[in-house]
Amino acid sequence: MKPIIKVEGISKKFRINPREPSSVHYETLRESLGKLVRAPFTRNRKNGQRDDTVWALKDVNFDVFPGEVMGIIGSNGAGKSTLLKVLSRIIEPTSGRVELYGRVASLLEVGTGFHPDLSGRENVYLNGAILGMRRREIDERFDEIVAFAEVERFIDTAVKHYSSGMYLRLAFAVAAHLDPEILIVDEVLAVGDATFQKKCLGKMDDVTRSGRTVLLVTHGLAMVTQLCRRAILFDGGRIVKMGPSLEVVTYYDATCNPSKGTI
Amino acid sequence: MSLINEKVEEIDAVVQSVPEVKPDAPYVSGGLSFNLPDKPVVTIETHKSWVPLNLRDLWAYRELLYFLMWRDIKVRYKQTVLGAAWAVIQPLTTMLIFTYFFGKLAKVPTDGVPYPVFVYTALLLWTFFSNGVTSAANSLIGNSNLITKVYFPRLIIPSAAVGAGLVDFAIASVLLVGLLVYYGFSVTWEYLMILPLVVLTTLFALGVGIWFSAVNVRFRDVRYALPFLIQVWFFVSPIIYPSSLVPAEWRWVLHLNPLAGLIEFFRAALFGRELPWVALVYAAGLTVIVLAYASYTFRRMERSFAEFI
Repeated sequence: MKPIIKVEGISKKFRINPREPSSVHYETLRESLGKLVRAPFTRNRKNGQRDDTVWALKDVNFDVFPGEVMGIIGSNGAGKSTLLKVLSRIIEPTSGRVELYGRVASLLEVGTGFHPDLSGRENVYLNGAILGMRRREIDERFDEIVAFAEVERFIDTAVKHYSSGMYLRLAFAVAAHLDPEILIVDEVLAVGDATFQKKCLGKMDDVTRSGRTVLLVTHGLAMVTQLCRRAILFDGGRIVKMGPSLEVVTYYDATCNPSKGTI
Repeated sequence: MSLINEKVEEIDAVVQSVPEVKPDAPYVSGGLSFNLPDKPVVTIETHKSWVPLNLRDLWAYRELLYFLMWRDIKVRYKQTVLGAAWAVIQPLTTMLIFTYFFGKLAKVPTDGVPYPVFVYTALLLWTFFSNGVTSAANSLIGNSNLITKVYFPRLIIPSAAVGAGLVDFAIASVLLVGLLVYYGFSVTWEYLMILPLVVLTTLFALGVGIWFSAVNVRFRDVRYALPFLIQVWFFVSPIIYPSSLVPAEWRWVLHLNPLAGLIEFFRAALFGRELPWVALVYAAGLTVIVLAYASYTFRRMERSFAEFI
């Protein structure tokens, strides 16, 4: 059987600038020119290059088959989010190749592009378009989205007046009604109160049963065993273990996870 | 290690046995049924050199362009009392001030055209251009939340910023029509030339705007340099004065700026003068060059936007 996602030798190197705090990503033209001037003299430092570069992913290989729900787990900084960003085409890998045999939608956060001054209705359309939905598709699913989010009465109110729960529910509702062949999801399911979380999980369960291929990053280990057939454990940018989700989760729990997964 | 591999193989075997399909048959599971294409829909690789402009991708995301333009327009005048009237108030006020100082006091010659309509014509085009460039230049940074979370052709963001300015341009044009009627200008076939002129100005603003937007991601100096550049650009363009005021032997320097030709062409079309075709062709040629260079720069820098923004 042919995989729908084929990841071959993906690596990603980040350069960390030791002179600046990592929160400041940009440099000024003057600094750049300064570097250019200093360039001939900094050649020696190349030997110590390991000091200011970090491999967020190192030679990652795996296949995902159609209809499969794959869980991705690991501690913070293990490379999960970088992998999702590479697969979502937000950042480019340093080397390697990925082949995707289907339309991809990635959900790295709920409510991307929500504008506080626009109404709920307007934001559903805007957010849907940003996530790659066609206008017609949004038209068709609009009532369903609003009903799922339980915000019918406030749909024409600016979302800045929403309670944070309403805001998150609406944002999740749009995302939950995406219809791609491959869905890439980062830790975004834990929104709203307990009742709504249950609803989200139920929706996630529907999605996984509908035959869609899903890549799910989460710290909720219970969710992995519940939703995923297979799982991949990352550590230090490499795959440590790949296999049936229960096995991988047990291994992770036993070896490197001091706190139990929540949810 | 071998244990894991065995497990993986075992799982693969399980997976293979679940959907009862032959490799080339359509996958049917749940409500979804599709054929795996032979060629990947998307291939992700490192691009060593520059990436060609992916027009098909841009076309596929045309609805997003529309939605982002619509958002910019919608949000711009939210929670303002005067709303879209601001699109008229700004050039109108500028026109009144310029008319007093340059028309009445300094008596700038205008080749026989009343100063208010003379300066407003140019201000209209200039306001569209400068606002377009400025908002495009800041658009990527303003939408950094989108860039770090979702994939789409990034060119859409500055394009939407320039495109949203067209609405202000249209609103402010109403006043121009009023002025033309008031001063007794009549409609001629040359008015038809306004459409390609606006398209050309849009494309030129787009070229300059997308170049600055890409550079701005890496070098925040743009934030300080651009307002200054725009100010200088205003004075070297024949907005408050006609190009005939510049000594003939130096006029070519003035015309290096394609905006000079565009403004003069706009005036000539409206006031029934001889159309300066050479200036228009030059502006069109330069627009193509600027647009090509800007998209090249943009595509080259686009790959690392998410890391630098």
